[in-house]
Amino acid sequence: MGNLLDLLVEPLRYPFMVRGLLASLMVGTLCAVVGTYVVLRGMAFFGDALAHAILPGVAVAYLLAVNLFWGALVMGLITAVGIGYLSRRSQVKEDTAIGVIFAASFALGVALLSTVRSYSVDLTHILFGNVLGVSNTDLLLTAGLGLVVLAAVFLLYKELLVVSFDPIMAATLRLPLDALNYLLLVLIALTVVVSLQAVGVALMVAMLVTPAATAYLLTRRLWQMMIIGAAIGAASAVAGLYLSFYVNVASGAAVVLVATGFFVLAFLFAPARGVVWSWRRGRV
Amino acid sequence: MAPILKVDSLTVNYNGTPALEEVSFSVEAGERVAIVGPNGSGKSTLFKAMVGLLRPVAGSVESNGAKIGYVSQRSEVDWRFPVTVHDVVMMGRIAQIGWLRWQRPIDREVVRRCLDQVGMTAFAGRQIGELSGGQQQRVFIARALAQDASILLMDEPFGGVDVPSQEAILEILDGLRELGVTVLVSTHDLNLAVERFDRLALLNRRLIAYGPARGTITPASLAAAYGGQALWRGEDYALVMGDIDCCGETGGRHG
Repeated sequence: MGNLLDLLVEPLRYPFMVRGLLASLMVGTLCAVVGTYVVLRGMAFFGDALAHAILPGVAVAYLLAVNLFWGALVMGLITAVGIGYLSRRSQVKEDTAIGVIFAASFALGVALLSTVRSYSVDLTHILFGNVLGVSNTDLLLTAGLGLVVLAAVFLLYKELLVVSFDPIMAATLRLPLDALNYLLLVLIALTVVVSLQAVGVALMVAMLVTPAATAYLLTRRLWQMMIIGAAIGAASAVAGLYLSFYVNVASGAAVVLVATGFFVLAFLFAPARGVVWSWRRGRV
Repeated sequence: MAPILKVDSLTVNYNGTPALEEVSFSVEAGERVAIVGPNGSGKSTLFKAMVGLLRPVAGSVESNGAKIGYVSQRSEVDWRFPVTVHDVVMMGRIAQIGWLRWQRPIDREVVRRCLDQVGMTAFAGRQIGELSGGQQQRVFIARALAQDASILLMDEPFGGVDVPSQEAILEILDGLRELGVTVLVSTHDLNLAVERFDRLALLNRRLIAYGPARGTITPASLAAAYGGQALWRGEDYALVMGDIDCCGETGGRHG
């Protein structure tokens, strides 16, 4: 027991680990709650695209030497609203519109970053996250914006639920469908921006989708899915960070792999829905 | 008695072409009306215009302040969504609860009462996709009732449900009649419309005929609505030919 406790406490002697753990916890929770809607509305590609499309904003902020967060925020909001508008108005299909915008935006970001000499190191941090480089300012920004997003999800729970489950009914109730849908895009964008430093662009979609998808296999009510997803997201974040500390692997990758492990377990063994049970039922 | 529902010269365009032209009729409180017509005759369009999902180019719908609840076709929601029967019916209370507020005890009470009215109390905790088609229909009726609606519009509630479920839904409609709820149902089933409804509207972009269920279907009105695809069988019955409806069993029991 003493040994296990030592294992858990040891990393906490380093302030950067404590900040990293706090950031991971918040990001894991937030991504899973918002990710619930990403999973249920089939927006995984949108989430992935959004994370990549933020790159030019990050690059410009980097070149101007301001906090990358602000660049990401501006670009995230522009992209979310832009994709939302295009997918409603344009003659091309939604996923095609997203594909065009996201690749172009990502390319622009890479082009901008490639003008800097330390290009490859910086790009790696942005692509895969650098949770151990989180500053106190970053923590405060994450906590503040994260709370705003969670408050919106909480206060508009019943409206976002009916808009997602039955938009026709929502329309007959005279709910502002467009406003609620745009709001959801903005909430996803804020979540992505807030999580950028911890998770990175490339693995973002996993944090949005994997814990929420795991929770989906374990529940049949939306609010339970959010709570269980948040717990899985937070647990994955903490376990992944310890793993990266002791095994010395990249932290973002470790977090995603732990979350994926939870998903595989639920996929196989979820009560009533697990593959293993239906396989056994099939044999009997 | 003044009619509870008055549709006046309703004209709706769909993608630039007229889907409904000058449809006018009125319904008394507690009446049960079947809207019948071939595919593409504007049955769904009529309902959608009545609840504000489509904007009419002309005409009006008056309900004297009575709320109109809409029960859409079954296929229009994601059945794997993590919501229980109780959650779905609670969605009907959103307008009464109001923005930024949570459900109150009275809302839970209304949900319980509405579930009871459709005989689905025992299923309150089930995920919506675990129910049969007929049970799902009943839940959506309960949700419309939870909106305090006294006029129900049901789009093809009998499509794809088995005969016992169809009977169960009709029994619920009988119960609603006693509560004074007015029900408009769109259906492909002419025989059902004649036998189980008070009034019948024969629709094909225009309102071909409207009146008491028995007597509205005549060789002339039938030919006007269905062209050569329906056969007059004498008395009250009609045999619909070909694949003009999705369900195919119309008239089969009599044919």
